[in-house]
Amino acid sequence: MKNRLKVARAEHDFSQADVAQHIGVSRQTVNSIETGRYVPSAVLALKLARLFSMPVETLFSLEDTD
Amino acid sequence: MKNDWLFPHCYRRIGWLLFFPSACLGLVDTYGEYLPWLRANLTWLYALPSPSFLDGDLIDEVAALGIIAGLLLVAFARERTEDEMIRQLRLVALQWSVYINYGLLALAIVLLYDIAFFHVMIYNMFTILLVFIGRFRWSLRRLGQEEKQLA
Repeated sequence: MKNRLKVARAEHDFSQADVAQHIGVSRQTVNSIETGRYVPSAVLALKLARLFSMPVETLFSLEDTD
Repeated sequence: MKNDWLFPHCYRRIGWLLFFPSACLGLVDTYGEYLPWLRANLTWLYALPSPSFLDGDLIDEVAALGIIAGLLLVAFARERTEDEMIRQLRLVALQWSVYINYGLLALAIVLLYDIAFFHVMIYNMFTILLVFIGRFRWSLRRLGQEEKQLA
């Protein structure tokens, strides 16, 4: 699954720690999601989408291999 | 997740404090015959009164229960930030530990008999928790190292 979390974060001028604090996870988790090492649950994806005020499909999208 | 059946974070330290003395006690009790000087200095320990329903002294019971309680606290104490990725790492570590535990047990069933098998069974009481702790801590450390490399 691809994501544009890093771009959204830059657009909103948020650090990884800011995002982590807002959605209640560790900074390592935000980093792992950004780098594609961890695929978040639906709940976490929705929380991230709400934080950046965008549809979840804009933030996350499926790849051909998914 | 409201109820995750984990202990508070500070219990991990208590777990180690419980585990190490209990493990030392268990090792002394098991292998004390090879260290007579040590056993001779611990005669008071073996002279402590024990309940009548126990066969012999309290040492092995205290050691085994201390090791199990200590390892459970270490294994299932909450991390500082216990989120869904940490829960995923816990689940993977638990799966690994079950596979390794029963893999070792299967080998022992085939290769060992009598008292040697009995000794394996004693250690097998603890291997599932020990492997879980090792695998889980290694996952967390690797996560930290990968993050440093990417930074």
